[in-house]
Formats: sequence, C-alpha cells, structure tokens
Amino acid sequence: MHHAHIDKFAYQDSPVHRLDSRVKLVVVLVFTAVVVSLPRTSLSILACYAVGPFAILVWAGIPLRFTFKQILLVSPFVLVLALSCPLYDRTPAAVAFGPFSWRLTLGWMRCFAILAKFIVTMLALIALVSTTRFSDLLAGLQKLGLPRVLVIQLGFLYRYIFVLIDRAQHILRARAGRKLRNLGLKAELKIAGAMLGSLFIRSIDTAEHIDTAMQARGFDGKWRTLAKLRIRTADCVFASAAAAFIFTLYFFLKPLLQ
Amino acid sequence: MTKAIEIENFSYAYPDGTIALSDVNLGVEHGEKIALIGPNGAGKSTLLLVMAGFVRGTGKVKIDGLEVNRANLRSIRACLGACLENPEDQLFMPTLFDDVAFGPLNMGLSHEEISKRVADALQTVGLPGMGDKAPHHLSAGQKRAAAIATVLSMDPKIITLDEPDGSLDPRNRNNLVRLLKRLSQTLVIATCNMNFAAALADRAVLVNKGRVVAEGDAGKIMRDLQLMVEHGLEVPGIHFS
Repeated sequence: MHHAHIDKFAYQDSPVHRLDSRVKLVVVLVFTAVVVSLPRTSLSILACYAVGPFAILVWAGIPLRFTFKQILLVSPFVLVLALSCPLYDRTPAAVAFGPFSWRLTLGWMRCFAILAKFIVTMLALIALVSTTRFSDLLAGLQKLGLPRVLVIQLGFLYRYIFVLIDRAQHILRARAGRKLRNLGLKAELKIAGAMLGSLFIRSIDTAEHIDTAMQARGFDGKWRTLAKLRIRTADCVFASAAAAFIFTLYFFLKPLLQ
Repeated sequence: MTKAIEIENFSYAYPDGTIALSDVNLGVEHGEKIALIGPNGAGKSTLLLVMAGFVRGTGKVKIDGLEVNRANLRSIRACLGACLENPEDQLFMPTLFDDVAFGPLNMGLSHEEISKRVADALQTVGLPGMGDKAPHHLSAGQKRAAAIATVLSMDPKIITLDEPDGSLDPRNRNNLVRLLKRLSQTLVIATCNMNFAAALADRAVLVNKGRVVAEGDAGKIMRDLQLMVEHGLEVPGIHFS
C-alpha cells in the first residue's frame, strides 16, 4: 500500500503521544465546541486559540507541512460554504484592528470567521489524530460511553478503508492498462458502474470472510477488549492546563479583544 | 485414542446444486502434518471449512472426538484454529495485539494469561514486540505470520491453513516452512504448491472434483508423475531447506 495514512505520526513517541486518549478526546471536543460557539467578530481571539493546538503539534514533533497538507485536503468542502457567505449577506460593516480600520460586508466577515474556525478546529483534530493511535482512540471512545456497535464499526472502517482504497486503485490501474482511447461518456459511465459493482461484490465477499475468521476464533456477538487505558498525573496536568487555556481566553480575554 | 480429524462419507453441494464434496473419507492423527493438494476449485478450501464447522452437509465429521454440530461449535473452534487464505480477512482489528488477543478474549481467559499468550504467539511467529503495529503496516510475509499468531494464541490442537504460501516470495515462503515445521500441532495445509507441500507434509491427500482421489505418504504421492499430471498438478522439484 502506498497511500498516506492519516495517523502516520501517531506511532511516534512524545509526552503528547503518551497522554491518555480519553483526556485528549475530551479536550479536543471542549476546544472545538468553544471555538465554534465564538461570534463571527472574534477573529483576533480565534488567532489566540490557534496557539494551543499549534504548540501541541510542535511539541509532539508533527511536521507542519503535513498538518497544512491535511487542512488543504479537507478545505474545498468548507471553502464552498465560506465563499458563499459574501454573496447573500452584503450588509456593510466596519472592522478595526489597532490603528487600522477598513470597511467590509457582514458576509465577508462570516466567511473569514468560518475559515478561521475551520483552521483552528482542524489544527486541534490533527493534533489529536496525529498523537493518538486509532486503536487507543477507539478504546477511549468506548470508555467514554460511545455505543459499542459504533466503536466496532469505526474499527472496521479504519482497518478496511485502506484495503478498499488499494482495491479501487488496482481496478483503476487495470482499466488504465487496457483503455487505449477515449470511449465516450456513456461507455465510461458503464465501465465505472461495472467497477463500482465489482468493488461492492468484493467488499461483501471480504465481509463474509471476516465473519468466518471472527467465528473461527470464538466470536459469539459480544465484543471483548483488554482495557489498557490509565489516567496518570501527566494527564491531569494536561487537562488542567488545557482547561485553563480554553476558559481564560473565553472568559477573560474575549471581552477585551472584541 | 481419538483421531484429530475424522470425516466419514461427507458430501456437500452448493445452494445452486454444484457438488463441492462427494463422499469424502479422511482421518488425521494427532501431531500429523498433512497436505491437502489439488488443482483450483478441487474442494480443498471447502473441506477446511467443513472441519471448522462452517459448512454442513451429509456425513459425519469429528474433531478431536467431538462431533461437529451446533452444540459443540465453541469447543471445536477452541480446539481447531482456522487460518483463512487471505491474511487481510484474518487480521481485522486495529492493532496486531488486539488481533492476536481476539481469540483468547473470546475464550474467557484472564488478562494476564491473554497478554502472555499474545507475547508467546508473536514470539513464535517471529514478530516479537510488534503488537502495537497496525495490520496494514505489515509486509505480506509478516501478515501471513501474524495470521498464524492469531490462531496460535488460542493454543489449538489442530491448525488448518488455506494456501498459506500464496503471494509469498521465496524467502518468506522458506521462513513460513521453518515456522510451520516447528509447530507441534496437527497441521492440515491446503495448497497447490507441490514444493511447499513436499517440504512440510508427512502425508498428502489429493483432492479433485470434490473427491479424495489418493492419499498416502507425501513423497510417494507427489512423485507419481502420471497421477499429478492427470489432476493438473506437478511433481515437486525444489526442496526447501
């Protein structure tokens, strides 16, 4: 397999990597909720919030190039939403930043706020995924009370998404190897349908084999795991520091910076 | 003493009516290493599924003296470890540790015992300390070894392996031969690679068109050029060290 993995830095070792997945999950959830709840006029406070996940990424040794690449990869979805704002809200607004001031529309302010929130929350999410192994994330989610069936589904999704991507790449390669001319839209759609069908049938086949493998090892419908998570002093220190950072900005600096 | 595997007059047809196995009789002693040889579509994989209780037909199947039926399935699956053809299907958990621990967890063993069994199984297959690895980060040879570890951790008396040498390069195939030779369990290996079968098996069972065509000493069966060619196979030429 040659495709990049979203969690390829999760297997490194750093103080952040060693933190309990539950603590990191809760911190990222709270951080995201607070950032999303900020009003659209809080661009400067959003910049302050970005410092947190940015510092964690640097501390954990996650390359910034990788981080920004991941953000760029997801950005088209948010860009469509953000860039549509100036089109429907043209109410004039004045913006001041220190000695500078300029005029904008509320639509553009909403656009910048969406983009800034997206970047800040993505930084936090990448910091979480890049410093936590997926298996630990799943164990953390289960411990935090996510329904077991969802945890199992997520586990299978993570395990087999790469197999599926690989198979799709093989099929595309096989098609490219024999496709020597443009066949026209109708024929291309027919081929694409057949390829999707083949992928679907192979997926069902794989699911049946996995079921066989699970039953062969005594699976009776109950999902059993070895609990390996433990909250330590470092986790408590991290949680306290994160809470102090998030809520100090929210309650004390936000009124000053607005 | 009971045999490891006893199959008497077993027949099975697929839902579309195609005969998969017809009047199969087979006995395997404890500690034996047998090769199920035959061309593609001969019924080897189906026969392995019969042993693990996944395919029910007419006739009698006993594993370590226990008749294969719904009531005995749990005991049978603790006694017989089935390794599927594709390791991707066998390794379904996010980490290697979780995968190797999956069987022992379902057996209701203590956490200490499970950790010990996982470490021992990974050591045996040559992947010590790799429990934290995600299966998709392993090479083909490592995946194959890991798939074997997933059944070894259940400490079964019998292990069935479906085309275990598939897509392995010669070095990895040699490693696999050495690993399987070291195992004390009863091994049933389905393969169409005669060199691989010759390197491992004491006894060979030639299956074709759902029937057991010949069985006996592995060397004798596989050196019978006429028999092998007649059933779309070849005589082994290269022997593994």
